[in-house]
Amino acid sequence: MSRMFTWADAARIIVLLAVSFLILMPIAAAVLGGFKTNGELRVSPFGLPEVWHLQFYGEILGGRRFWVYLGNSFFISIMTVGLTLVLGSMCAFAFAQTRFFGSRFLFGYLLLGLMFPVAAAIMPLFLTVRDLGLLDTAWGVILPQVAFGLAFSIMFFRTFFKEMPSELFDAARVDGCSYIRFYFTFTLPLSTPILATIAVFVFVQSWNNYLLPLIMLNDREGYTWTLGAMDFRGEYAAEWNRTLAFVSATLAPAVVFFLAAQKYIVSGLTGGAVKG
Amino acid sequence: MAEVRMTNINKSFGAVEVIPDLSLTIPDGSFSVLVGPSGCGKSTLLRMIAGLEDVSAGEIHIAGEDVTGAKPSDRGIAMVFQSYALYPHMSVRQNIGFGLKLAKTPKDEINRRVGEAAEILQLGPLLDRKPRQLSGGQRQRVAIGRSIVRKPKVFLFDEPLSNLDAALRTQMRVELAELHAKLNATMIYVTHDQVEAMTMADQIVIMKDGIIQQVGRPMELYNAPQNPFVAGFIGSPRMNLIEGRIAEARKSKILGIRPEHIDVSPDAGEWEGRLRYVEHLGSDTVAYVDSEAAGRITVRLPGEVAISTGDAVFLTPRANNIHLFRADGTVERA
Amino acid sequence: MARTAHTSLWQRWAQDDQLRMILIFVPPAILVFTVFVMMPMLQAGFFAPWKWSGYGPAPWAMNETTQTTFGRWVGDRNFERMLGHSAFRQAVWNSGLVIAVSLLVQLPLALALALMIYRTSRANTVFRLIFFLPYILAEVATGLIFAFALDGNYGLSAWLSQLVGLEEAWFPLAERPWAYYSILAVLVWKYFGFHMMIYIAGLQSINSELLESAEIDGATSWQKAWYIKIPLIWPAITVSIFYSVLGALQVFDLVMPMTAGGPSNSSHTLVSYLYNFGFIRLDVGFGSAVGVFLFVTGVVFALAYRNTVQRGQ
Ligand SMILES: Nc1ncnc2c1ncn2[C@@H]1O[C@H](COP(=O)(O)OP(=O)(O)OP(=O)(O)O)[C@@H](O)[C@H]1O
Ligand SMILES: [Mg+2]
Repeated sequence: MSRMFTWADAARIIVLLAVSFLILMPIAAAVLGGFKTNGELRVSPFGLPEVWHLQFYGEILGGRRFWVYLGNSFFISIMTVGLTLVLGSMCAFAFAQTRFFGSRFLFGYLLLGLMFPVAAAIMPLFLTVRDLGLLDTAWGVILPQVAFGLAFSIMFFRTFFKEMPSELFDAARVDGCSYIRFYFTFTLPLSTPILATIAVFVFVQSWNNYLLPLIMLNDREGYTWTLGAMDFRGEYAAEWNRTLAFVSATLAPAVVFFLAAQKYIVSGLTGGAVKG
Repeated sequence: MAEVRMTNINKSFGAVEVIPDLSLTIPDGSFSVLVGPSGCGKSTLLRMIAGLEDVSAGEIHIAGEDVTGAKPSDRGIAMVFQSYALYPHMSVRQNIGFGLKLAKTPKDEINRRVGEAAEILQLGPLLDRKPRQLSGGQRQRVAIGRSIVRKPKVFLFDEPLSNLDAALRTQMRVELAELHAKLNATMIYVTHDQVEAMTMADQIVIMKDGIIQQVGRPMELYNAPQNPFVAGFIGSPRMNLIEGRIAEARKSKILGIRPEHIDVSPDAGEWEGRLRYVEHLGSDTVAYVDSEAAGRITVRLPGEVAISTGDAVFLTPRANNIHLFRADGTVERA
Repeated sequence: MARTAHTSLWQRWAQDDQLRMILIFVPPAILVFTVFVMMPMLQAGFFAPWKWSGYGPAPWAMNETTQTTFGRWVGDRNFERMLGHSAFRQAVWNSGLVIAVSLLVQLPLALALALMIYRTSRANTVFRLIFFLPYILAEVATGLIFAFALDGNYGLSAWLSQLVGLEEAWFPLAERPWAYYSILAVLVWKYFGFHMMIYIAGLQSINSELLESAEIDGATSWQKAWYIKIPLIWPAITVSIFYSVLGALQVFDLVMPMTAGGPSNSSHTLVSYLYNFGFIRLDVGFGSAVGVFLFVTGVVFALAYRNTVQRGQ
């Protein structure tokens, strides 16, 4: 049957375009705002700038602070991702391949970590990090982030490892391959999709995190970009254009990363998420 | 009257032309089977009849009415899918009654008709189960039940038995045949299993690459295939198709002779050869003979024959079962 | 593997590579998880009945110089204070509003959009990327962008005020109910794409023969969505409800750049309340008491939900 363009189709397109507009407009306004003078921003917040002022972006990108913040965020995120993948996949491998004394209990213990907000224990956590001497270091953010990410990454890894064909493991055992060797030579190489998916999610969470750095980091040299952005906003309270330029400059890496990693983001949402 | 008539159907997916130009009439009340190798367009054709796929060109008439642009639900058809497509969250009763409910049929009418269908298919005790609590054969029956409550003029089946094991498949074949006799509706059935086609069909339609090769009753196709493709497709084991000197001697391109139409003798015959391999199937024996004149020939023998690999044998094709396929496409039969 | 009773641990270590693997692979993760997640949570329980600034190793430890404990035992007074505090009640109410908006607005919106664009086509892919984009943006960046858009001197708010011809510009983020309503709206803006993607994944995994079968049964698009698609993605819907309720308990990053809890503590969420009245004031006991409240709420909800709605999935 030949379908014709119907009113329902038209309504659908209109809704989709309207929602897209509502999403893109504020982002576009922020990016464009960085090119306007503060005065122009007041009169025309959403339009194209009359004159493209490059100096606000220029000052931010040419200055040192912005890059220090990005560098700190990057280091923290990369270390968080690396540690989460290593610790999480090893632990999940043990849970998936064997049943040992207390394994059910330990698994339930980890599951509990998924049931309450990270922030609930923020005050004792602060004291723990202080007592370990990690305040104002990147590790004071990295280690708690890894700990919070472990529960959920272990769930995902375990599901994935369990779905790998068990004949592979049996065959390797018959050939005399040890558990640890099997993990390194078979499990890890065959798990790149799930490793990438978890990596993307952990990275995005760490990159965007605000609460933990806020609590653990005091020294500006160690600030992540989220702290930097808030700091910048406080400093230039009356100059929205500068803050918008700063925020927009941080959007670029996020959007680029998103487009590059969307495949893994989608598979993360389809995979373990739905199976819970 | 629920004849299905397709005229000059063309179907392309983008640049790929799956069915170039097809015209076919399925007679009212017939059980017609579409067969052909995988990918030849059987499902596509069936789905176009159902209205699940648009035709690129051509017309489809069901019961004399042009349904080319009609919605699937307005065509008076019902379809049974290979995966059964039972709604997993509905009970058997709800599955069967869903179409009626959508058509705003009154409750007791729905109950009555679901009951009737359940009766015909012996689904009574299963009505309140969910599909996942049923065996493969039971699911199959529910899928059929769902199609019969709608009282369609035409039933469409797309390889409905391919997910069943061999024993169940045979049983369901008989049940479908009985159902056809009982309902007296037009049924169009897709399969790539020629045994299914031979046993169930009133009319077989053989397709290849979207083109109909031959249409006819099962024994017609068996006795009088119009081309080497049909000859090779129908019948098991396959017809021997011999090219070369032997065929040329009879002024043809290909000489066809079925394995069951060859006489075997230890001392005299037309082609001399040596037994390469013997399969004892119980009721029959299938022997593979390598001959100098005709190449490898398959022969079907009675169950109890005393021959073994390596024996020298002589083969003689029965003269009045020989099929000669000429280069110009004509066929000659004794 | 049969083992004699008196093999020493060392022998087992040498022989049993499974044991070796477990002892090497499991403890690091459990250790990190315990030190930075479970221990602090447990400590929060112990700190909650104390008044303590965090100075010294523990509230109950003796301070040698003053000959008193570092903290002061206050029993359940932290909880009393918390439950009696109007800002806390507001925060609870606000977090409840997040859940309500999520269930009544965000998830239906996400579902409707998912139904519109779950099929694979180039245009749909573009829409999916656009709708998912806010989820990738940092809360802080989102918050700052909307703080600008809703600033009465600039942005959307200024433009609207002029349009309507208000004498004085409207500052929604500085006005009582509007400040928090704005946060709610931005939460929907930011997170509906996430839920939409979960639904799309579910919708794409529906066997297309089911939908064709429904079409032959005469179902309209609406009926297909209502009778077939939505019931079939129900597991995905329960997952997304779970995420949105637990997510509602976590909201913080967005509040800080938009309102920081103001005006007059009207737009706090539970976490921003904890931060403000626990962390900022260095009141470890009080902050821990709020933390315990969060913990209990989260765990009770999660367990109840898993054992009712998600039972058997
Ligand atoms: N939606 C589609 N888009 C593009 N090509 C398609 C589509 N559906 C089918 N085809 C192509 O059309 C041809 C016929 O497909 P069809 O499913 O009708 O084959 P079939 O005869 O039913 O085969 P089988 O016995 O394997 O089921 C195949 O080459 C297939 O690749
Ligand atoms: Mg097919």
